[in-house]
Amino acid sequence: MTAPAWAPAGEVVGDGTTGRSRAARRWRGARPWLVVLALVVAGALALVLPAPPTSNAPGSPDNPGPAGSRAVAQVLQRQGVTVESVTTASAAVAAATGDSTVVVVGDALLGTDQLDALVALDDDLVLVDAGWALSTLDPGISASSSAGAARSRAAECADPDALAAGTVVAGGGYRDDTGRAVVCFPAADGSGAYLTFEQDGRRVAALSDIRLLSNDRVDEEGNAALVLRVLGRHDHLVWYVPSLNDVGPVTQDTGTPALTDLVPWVGPVTWWLVLVLLVTMVWRARRLGPVVAEPLPVVVRSAEATRGRGRLYRRVRAHGHAAAALRAGTAARVAHRLGLPRSADAAAVVDAVARATGRPARDIETLVYGPPPTDDAGLLRLADDLHHLESEVHRP
Amino acid sequence: MALTSRAVLVALAGLVPVALLPAPLTVGVWALVVVALCAVDVALAASPRELAVARRLPTSVRLSGTADAELTLRNTGRRTARVLVRDAWPPSTLPGGDAPTGARTPRHRVDVPPGERRRVTTTLVPTRRGDAVAGRVTVRTSGPLGVAGRQVSLDVPGRLRVLPEFASRRHLPSRLARLRELDGRAAVQVRGAGTEFDSLREYVDGDDVRSIDWRATARRREVVVRTWRPERDRHVLLVLDTSRTSAARVLDGTRLEASVEAALLLGVLAAHAGDRVELLAYDRRVRARAVDTHSSRVLPALADALATVQPALVETDWPGLVAQVRARLSRRALVVLLTSLDPAAVEQGLLDVVGGLTRRHQVVLASVADPELEELRTARRTIDQVFDAAAAERTSLERAAVAVRLRQRGVEVVEATPDDLAPRLADTYLALKAAGRL
Repeated sequence: MTAPAWAPAGEVVGDGTTGRSRAARRWRGARPWLVVLALVVAGALALVLPAPPTSNAPGSPDNPGPAGSRAVAQVLQRQGVTVESVTTASAAVAAATGDSTVVVVGDALLGTDQLDALVALDDDLVLVDAGWALSTLDPGISASSSAGAARSRAAECADPDALAAGTVVAGGGYRDDTGRAVVCFPAADGSGAYLTFEQDGRRVAALSDIRLLSNDRVDEEGNAALVLRVLGRHDHLVWYVPSLNDVGPVTQDTGTPALTDLVPWVGPVTWWLVLVLLVTMVWRARRLGPVVAEPLPVVVRSAEATRGRGRLYRRVRAHGHAAAALRAGTAARVAHRLGLPRSADAAAVVDAVARATGRPARDIETLVYGPPPTDDAGLLRLADDLHHLESEVHRP
Repeated sequence: MALTSRAVLVALAGLVPVALLPAPLTVGVWALVVVALCAVDVALAASPRELAVARRLPTSVRLSGTADAELTLRNTGRRTARVLVRDAWPPSTLPGGDAPTGARTPRHRVDVPPGERRRVTTTLVPTRRGDAVAGRVTVRTSGPLGVAGRQVSLDVPGRLRVLPEFASRRHLPSRLARLRELDGRAAVQVRGAGTEFDSLREYVDGDDVRSIDWRATARRREVVVRTWRPERDRHVLLVLDTSRTSAARVLDGTRLEASVEAALLLGVLAAHAGDRVELLAYDRRVRARAVDTHSSRVLPALADALATVQPALVETDWPGLVAQVRARLSRRALVVLLTSLDPAAVEQGLLDVVGGLTRRHQVVLASVADPELEELRTARRTIDQVFDAAAAERTSLERAAVAVRLRQRGVEVVEATPDDLAPRLADTYLALKAAGRL
């Protein structure tokens, strides 16, 4: 580039930066933020990635603890049974295929709505530790209160699953008064740890003790055999552990398609609008040069001090002070108007005003030098009277 | 890099293909199209760093006047630069009144071909006295598509001095006329210690017989009277108090604004009368001064010195001020204190030291009265108003008492509303001059 032919003094070309220096400055400025961003992303990944579903609920197939049932679930899966773990009745209803086993572990958190939804299914039901649910299903069956602690019991019935297991270690039991159900593994009082019956064309089985399938007790005696046979009757097992967030009515899968299914372009268009928003932000974010700062002037009014003093008078109801000020002001103006010297005393002022207005000297004296008012009404009246007196004096 | 609204329109246009072919791929492809368009436009835009920017600016402008700030852009590159220029100035200098600053910011769109120059003009309407310092000049060049461009903010220094408005100028002709009447007046009542003999002239009807010069009459065989003229070449020192009391707002402006107007009128008037005018703005230190100015240059010098004077939120150092005044004046002078008749401030500061000034000089104290005080005093309809009226009455009495004490010490006190202060102070000056008390 040749030197410019005309270069007036004070011409400014560029801001003294080069592409390289700007890039270096931006990199330096962005570095701390990039570090923060990397940390946030790493933290988010660490939180999201190694998160195999685990649970603390007893009898849950995701619980690897002593009270959990992951062992049973894993053995079933290895045998080709699909185990689907759900915590809400809605999910259980949605997961049931009509040809699957639905196992309900515990009924303490089960509501009538949830139970009705389960009963309405065609699938086989296995109720574990669910005396209330069982007696709701069939009023003839009740949970025994005197079955006692866990102890070894023999099958003593014709059910093939029970016979295959031989003996189990279990507590609790169910008593059947109708004689419709097959009761196995009876305790001393005749209530069984396992019973099964047919209802509305499906099989309902009940296990009295959750420990039958818990990780720490499942290997005792014939527990594993009984549980695996009962739960593994179908290829598909829905494992329902009622939870606290299982509230509200059970929603059936009504088959209504979502909005994105009806209008296929809603998703992409939404994403595109987000991109347009981004572009708009970039457009608006770059302002045309920095803001010019300027000190602001003082805006306190000169009369604020006087108003503040007025408010002080008002707050302490200083009628005497206010009256004295009003009277002194009036006296000074009237005296000036009547040509009295500044040093004139009260008597001289009263005398002069009385002569100027033709009012009795006693009235004037009471008004200008009388006792101070003690209430609002008195002060208002005094202000009014002083005003009248002044206008009378000022009248030519 | 900077995007334009057109980039947003291009992005919005992408809704059509995305709606017709609703797939993530369409979104991705069109996003790439938008990014590519912006990148190409940025690459093809002329570099804003190849524009040579020069500024031309008047050195000063009177408040309420307008000034044209010019920028000359010269393209030293090889591409035509489509430029959007913003010449940034403080908000108080921008035209447009009460609109938000963003809306008033002047932007100029101009095309500068290679090797050529273009000029953009920003009209400034300053609403505040003082030095307005230009902000940065921002140049944004856009590419041929107009969807994106490049931007740089350049430091092109510029300063515009905003001089006081001198609205009291309109009182000057009448006061100058009064000054001329003082000149050459024969009437003996103007005669005093401070007047000096001017010339002899023929007696005309109406002249005071006491001013007849009998000796000259005997020589000339006609009746001759002596004429007098007011003393000349006196010293006038204008002292502006820029302390916290000058910051309070009276009507539309601060007390200091009214003081500045009064100082300007008096300074110009005194300069016309042949007096030497000096100016001092002081609170705890000297804020501005104008020394030994002559008649023809007094207004520019005073205006320039007063332009940057702003109220400081400190208490006046009265002993220091008196020491300054004494150091500046070697002989008798008229000292005009433009301050506030604030009872507390005067009693604790000025009253103690003013004696040191009045012994040698004629002192005038000019103070801005607040019309709002009078409104407060007279409105007495409700009990709240009566309490306010009592407070206003008390304030007025205290001010009057302070004024009396100042007068007892030989200070001439002028108190007037902001608009009245300048003419009243000028009148006081004329009266002092006529009485020969300078």
